[in-house]
Parts: sequence; C-alpha cells; structure tokens
Amino acid sequence: MTFTGAIRGGYGRAAIRGAAILLGAGCVVWAAAPLVRSGYAGLALFLAILGVAAGALRLVLAAVPVPEDNYLLPGPLRAWLWFLENLRRVPWEEGALIAILWLEVLHPARPWHTAILGAALVGYLLATHLAESGASLEALRPQVRVLAVGAGLLALGAGAGMIPAVGPGAGSALLRLVAAGALIAAAGLVLPYVAAGSPDARGSGRGTPGRR
Amino acid sequence: MSSSTDQNDRLLRVPGHELELHWRSSRHARRLLTLGVAGVFIALLARRPEFAGVAAPALLLLAAGRVQRRPARISVRVRPSATRAFEGELVALDVRAEGQGGSHVRWTLHPGTEIDPGDVTAADGPQARFTFTPERWGRRQIGTMDVVLRDRWRLAEGHLTVILPKLDCYPAPADQRTKVVLRRLPNRLGEHPARTSGEGIEFFGVREYVPGDRQRSINWPASTRRGRLQVNTFAAERSQDVVLLADATSDVGVPGSSALDLALRGAAAAARAYLEGRDRVGVITYQWGGVSWLGPGLGRRQLYRIIDSMLASDSGYARGANFRRLPRAALPPGALVVVFSPLLDQRFVEALRDMRERGFHMLVVDVLNAEPPVRRRTEDRMARRIWQMEQDAIRFSLRELGIPVVHWDGVQSLDLPLAAHTRRPLAGRR
Repeated sequence: MTFTGAIRGGYGRAAIRGAAILLGAGCVVWAAAPLVRSGYAGLALFLAILGVAAGALRLVLAAVPVPEDNYLLPGPLRAWLWFLENLRRVPWEEGALIAILWLEVLHPARPWHTAILGAALVGYLLATHLAESGASLEALRPQVRVLAVGAGLLALGAGAGMIPAVGPGAGSALLRLVAAGALIAAAGLVLPYVAAGSPDARGSGRGTPGRR
Repeated sequence: MSSSTDQNDRLLRVPGHELELHWRSSRHARRLLTLGVAGVFIALLARRPEFAGVAAPALLLLAAGRVQRRPARISVRVRPSATRAFEGELVALDVRAEGQGGSHVRWTLHPGTEIDPGDVTAADGPQARFTFTPERWGRRQIGTMDVVLRDRWRLAEGHLTVILPKLDCYPAPADQRTKVVLRRLPNRLGEHPARTSGEGIEFFGVREYVPGDRQRSINWPASTRRGRLQVNTFAAERSQDVVLLADATSDVGVPGSSALDLALRGAAAAARAYLEGRDRVGVITYQWGGVSWLGPGLGRRQLYRIIDSMLASDSGYARGANFRRLPRAALPPGALVVVFSPLLDQRFVEALRDMRERGFHMLVVDVLNAEPPVRRRTEDRMARRIWQMEQDAIRFSLRELGIPVVHWDGVQSLDLPLAAHTRRPLAGRR
C-alpha cells in the first residue's frame, strides 16, 4: 500500500467523500447480486440501501450549520433541523453493515466473493471515517501494518472457507471455524507488539499535529 | 513570522487550566466493532469461516488501537485579544493545548448570545486562533470551546468543554462632530468661545489701548481711522459641564436598534464628542428602581468610565433615588443636560420637567423608533391613535417648557438632528 501524500483542500475532501459513497453502493450491489428471494432478502436490501444512502447524505450535509438557538423558528426550518439532527444521530453505517452481511449470508457459500466484500467494507468504513473527520490519507499511515495483517487473515479466512469438509456433518465445519477464530485471536495477541514497534507508537509519526 | 512568535509568547504567559478529559469510543471504532461482531456472529451461526475473515481486519484494528497512550488531563490556555470591545469590533481568541502527547486536537467554538463567530468555528492543531465580533453591547459570554482529542488511530475521542471568558461589549458610538454649547459658560479654561473677552483666538471686538496691552494686538487700521491706538480683543475660551442622561427604563423596538440601543450609542457619541472638546462630562442612568450616576470628568479615560457606568451601574447606584436627591457632583448647577430617551415613562418626563424648573439647560434626543402595530379592529386603531396623541402631547409640553426635543433614528449622524442647536449657543428660558 502506498501513500502519495496528504490530500488537501475541498477537492480532496470531495474525492474521499465520493469514494465512500461509491464503496458503500458497490458493497450493496456486490452482496445483493444475484438477487435471492428467501430470508427477507428484500428487507435486507432495503435496509442496506437506506443505510448507505442516509450515510452518504450525512456526509454531504456534514458542513451545514445548525443554529444555536432554535426557539421561535418557522415550521419548515424546524422540520429541516429535525431532519438534520436525526440524520446525524442515527448510526446509518452500522445498520448498512449488518444488512449487507445479511444479504451476503443469504447466498450459498462463496468464500472469495465474501473476502472481497470484507475488503470493500473495511475500505468503506475507512473512507467514511476520513470523510467525516476531514483527515487526509496520511492519517492511515500508522495503520498500514495492521491492515496488511488483517488482509492476510481475510485471505486465510477465505481459504479456510474453500477447504472441503473432511467428512459429512457439522463437526467438520466447526473445526474450520475454530481454526479461523484461533488465527484471529493469535494475530490479536501479537498485534499490540507490532503496533508498539510502529513509527506512530514511538511518537515519530510524520505530520502529526502534536509535534513542535 | 515574528507576529506569530509574539502571539505564542503572549499565550504562554496566560495561566493554563488543567482539565480532565472524558474518553469514549469514536464513531469509527463503533463501526469497526459492528463489523467485527457481526462477522464473528454470522461465522458462528452459519459456520462459514470466511465471515470470520471479514471480521478479522476490524477486530485487529480495534485490538491494536488499544495500546495507544491517552492523556487523562491536558492544559488549556485561552486568551482573548481584548476584554473590552465596541459593537462590531473584531476580537481574536487564541487557544492552546499542552500535554496532549501525540493526539490530534480539534477545537470547536460555540459562540454565546450576540456573538458572531464569522465563517470559521472549528480548527485543528494544538494551537488555534478564532475571530469573532460582538454584535450587541453588554457583558457577553464569548461562548464555550469544545476540545476533542483523537488518538492517532482515531478510535477513541477525549472530550472536554472550556467556558470562555466574558467580554465587555461597549455600544458603538454614533457619529457626532458638532457640539451644543451653552450661552453662559463657567469661568474655566476650555475650547468654546465665550461671550466675554479673554485670551482666545476668535475675534471679539476693538477697544482703546490701555497701558499693559500687547503691542501685537494693536489694530492699526482702526487706530489710523480714530486717531488713537486701538487693540483687538478676543473671545475667552471656556469649557462647560455636560451631563448625559440615559433613560434605561424602556427598551422597545427591534433588538440591535431598540430605544435603549440608540440611547446608549447616542450617549457614547455625545460623551466622546464633548470630551474631545475638553468639556467635563458625566452621566446619569435612569432605570427602574433608582438612578446611577458618574460625576463629570475630563479625559479619554472618562469615556470608558461613562460607558462602564451605563452598562454596569455599580458605582453611585442609589435605589429609589430621584434627581432631587442627586448630589451637586453628579448634576452641577449650570450644566448642559443632554437627554437620550424614548419618553415613554411618565415619571421620567416629570423628572425632566422638574429639572427644567430648577434651571438646568436641557436638550432631549428622542430615540423612539417603534410604534404599536397597525391592526384592523377599531378599538386597536383608536388605542394607537390615542397613544400617538399622548406622545405628541409629551413632546409638545416639553417644548413649551423650553426643552428642545429632536428625533434621532440611529442611522444618520447625530449632527443632523442637533444642527439647529449647534449653530448658536443654547439659551435656556428661565
């Protein structure tokens, strides 16, 4: 993963915002195709679209100011403020994540498809975070090692999903699951030492605001 | 560069406040947690390990983010560029955080009432500068400053709120250059030409030379015509006592241009104009429950004392006092009294009549710019008509007593309504 430097200015922010919206929409399409008719797929699709669309709208309207005093305001303005407040308060992205995973699990097992969806979802979350905090891509630099380990685990999980079951029955699938969980746990135990050794944790990160 | 260094130095001299941070998960962390928990949950339920892989990056990010150091307290320094400002004046506010380690600092200004923060209300970095404009006079709370610290991975946010200091906002003085001058001035050096000869610079007349007169004062053309030495005489230059009387009993009209706004701005303008003319200026603020006053004085500092007195009314405040009980120091005999009032309070009008009968020279600036709303009902229209007639009657009765009443709308210069009285000395009818 390479960083080409901080994206600055309104154009950079708009680009990150656009990337977040496109990634969200792409995740919905990726998880929903091909359309299935079982397990409340229609409801899940509706919730996923609603969550992604509302999250995108929240990002677009993030800069709209809200007056400090909202007494004696006209009705339409009061309704607009109510809309803005709820748009900013409800965790739309979390709802969209659950709905997208729900859509994906309704399909028969397709491990690499799911892995790509997982990578896109992480990208969606990171882009959303950058867009709402106004941070540049530089903010992700300290997390590169962890993201790389996570990508490896994602690939391992997909690989574990592709291994055929040793024998018929639920026990074989459970074994694969335990193996994947053990991998994640092991990585989680090792990772603090990896992160502690990163340039960020040593306090020598580049472009950090706290340095003098 | 040097100004920025000076700003840092000044800010460092301000004592810092140690404030406790309240840390909590960021929205980003909550989203990652949702993805991780949902992935693991689905993997367990559906027994599909690829979903555990989906959960892995999010859980790893959360686990690694736990090792970041987060300060429990930080020191915040806040320094406004001024503690006193006039309406519409730009004021800067410097803020600085210390002890935040490697955390990212974000400042968000929540302005107080009647404080216009301009376009920028948020800034990033350990040090920031905001600018704001107080819109209306009074002791104003600048507002509050929300400080958000984010760790380097932006998984946790530390919040604290700083209450910003108060700012004394003075009414912006209106434009006034000319001055109303009394016909009879006290025997005190000043800048107003008096009707007696003295040592001023304005020509007063010609008289016969007497031994001791300065030779340079000899008027040679007049001496040639009359055959005796004639000398020029010059008008004496005197100062006067001016007492500004601000009526704070009624505040009607649109906020920002209400009667009280106009009264204070007009009084501030008059104080500035007369003090520049080396007159002694004092102020009396008439309000519910009593009168507060500040004795006449000289100098630029007196302007700020006068405005402070009008805003705070702390010193010399006498609850239930009336004009009769005011000491001579507050209302010296022979002073010019300039009144700024909407003339809505009948007791205040009676007090003006009383002062006039006691021989004070007065001038009323009517600052009423609001009327009862026009309604369709006959009773309402009749009431409005009666109110207007009462107002006309009040002004007529004051004029009959020899008190000039001029109207000022607060927009134009005060010189315009006062023009008729600034061209010639004001002579009160006894």
